[in-house]
Amino acid sequence: MINSNFEREFTAIAKEYEKSGGNVSDFLRKDIVSIIVSGNKVIGRNTVDGVHVKAKELDNGVEIWLEIDDGTVIENPIHLCTGYLKPEGTQEVLIHNHLGDHTKAKFISHCVFPSGVNFTHSMVADTDVGKYSEMLYEDTHMHSKDGGVTVKATYNTIVREGGSFQNLFYLTKTRVGKLFVKMSVDLQKNASAHIESKVYEREDDYLEIDEQLFLNGEGSSGIAKTTVFATDRSKAKIINKAYGNAAYSKGHIECNEIIKGDSVEVGTVPELYVRNEKAELTHEASIGRVNVKQMETLMSKGLTEEEATDMIVRGMLR
Amino acid sequence: MLEVREIKLVRDERKILNTLTATFESGRVYAILGNNGVGKSTLSYVLMGLESHRDYEGKVIFDGEEIDLLSVSERARKGITLGWQEPVRFEGLTVKEYLTLGGKLRLSKEELNETLSIVGLNNEYLDRLVDESLSGGERKRVELASIILVNPKVTILDEPDSGIDIMSMEMIERVLERLRDKGSIVIIITHREEIARMADEAYLLCGGRILASGEPEEIVNFYRKLCDNCQHINEPITEGGRVDD
Ligand SMILES: Nc1ncnc2c1ncn2[C@@H]1O[C@H](COP(=O)(O)OP(=O)(O)O)[C@@H](O)[C@H]1O
Ligand SMILES: [Mg+2]
Repeated sequence: MINSNFEREFTAIAKEYEKSGGNVSDFLRKDIVSIIVSGNKVIGRNTVDGVHVKAKELDNGVEIWLEIDDGTVIENPIHLCTGYLKPEGTQEVLIHNHLGDHTKAKFISHCVFPSGVNFTHSMVADTDVGKYSEMLYEDTHMHSKDGGVTVKATYNTIVREGGSFQNLFYLTKTRVGKLFVKMSVDLQKNASAHIESKVYEREDDYLEIDEQLFLNGEGSSGIAKTTVFATDRSKAKIINKAYGNAAYSKGHIECNEIIKGDSVEVGTVPELYVRNEKAELTHEASIGRVNVKQMETLMSKGLTEEEATDMIVRGMLR
Repeated sequence: MLEVREIKLVRDERKILNTLTATFESGRVYAILGNNGVGKSTLSYVLMGLESHRDYEGKVIFDGEEIDLLSVSERARKGITLGWQEPVRFEGLTVKEYLTLGGKLRLSKEELNETLSIVGLNNEYLDRLVDESLSGGERKRVELASIILVNPKVTILDEPDSGIDIMSMEMIERVLERLRDKGSIVIIITHREEIARMADEAYLLCGGRILASGEPEEIVNFYRKLCDNCQHINEPITEGGRVDD
């Protein structure tokens, strides 16, 4: 439900939200949990049975608590939209998600900063996924054209016994500006996680990603994956880590950096640490041009080099 | 008409293609038959103009125009296309996106469905991904469908049956039929007699050059006699080598 004092702000954010692939009418539905933040105000919110939402204004942001009762299965995705419409300033968003045991929920989060010239957004999401619960958190970002947005996004998650967690981060449709993503997951007994970031860099965009899997419980498993398409003069530094601390835990980390042009500067460091001889960790990493055979396959059907690159990268960054 | 004149390609001081000359006419299917390692795939890359194979000597002439300086994209825009022996996979692209080249080809539902049925697939495949989730045979069928849909003037098919079970020979015949009906020059590259027999005309390739040409049946017999127990498989043909005799 939209707070009537913020109709205009909502309309402006809604426009950007649609551009990022969201469906605005979902924010008006009573059967969908939604939270819309603009600057340091919650301008719209709705909840359903079994889900409790609390929010507090901060000086330059908001703090949100979202709790899901034990045994609650939420059919429709929970929608979060965080916007900042002014060119300058800072926004701090603190999120606390608590999913009880045996719950199931999908979160779709969009962050839209369409006019940032000198703007910084810091977000910290602390998430607790209860026993045998299933959670998907998908975060899509849209930043301004001139690269003046700095985003620091930190996700700390604990997945309890038998739970499963997916955390996906996308920034592929606009300039990045400066981006620092940190994802860290503590996996308990038989818990599983898939954390993944996909970023398309242009001009002098700058990116640091740090993904960490702590396989602390017996039989836990996790995948941490990063895909970056770096063009122009962009820079990227990717670190994926896995800690195999328990018996029969399994981890895989993977980083693929596709580069275009001679002026990009990208690197990746895979780190694997094992503290239990029955743990098993693997990694894969690649840095290079778009696959030549893929390119030539599409070009042999009449696409230009540009069109072929675009099609291949579009697929990879999905 | 596509003419290939005295093509030579050297790798590691070996002549992979060695004064290869041949001509191909529209609306006809040609088989290029030869054992493993005789230079069949290399010829297909040269005709397509792949970046890695543009350093050949000799001429490729299409409809009277020398196209040797043209890139893959430019040759494709002239109507030349290549079906690879092992089609590559793509992450995140659906069969539908692949067949329409990301929406560049405006294709009706009927066209898509009809083409899929030629290659023995149905429209349920349109939403599948062109990645590891397709089997080798399915991927190859999608590739053949994709080739039909670009409506080529010259179609080079490198081992069209590889990865496809022997029961599917009829499917390959349907594909060739369609391309021939549309007036394409079809060049099938193969080491299999059954496939060569589907052509209107055949060339026998050995040591990087055409050794014989004629009716497919005739060439198949020649291939059996000459190539089955041949000692120089995978060996370069040097000037004055045995095959020149
Ligand atoms: N880049 C290369 N460098 C060296 N030798 C090559 C290269 N590419 C192909 N060859 C050799 O050229 C010969 C012909 O290869 P190819 O055209 O793939 O044969 P076919 O498709 O007939 O089996 C083979 O002996 C192969 O090993
Ligand atoms: Mg071959």
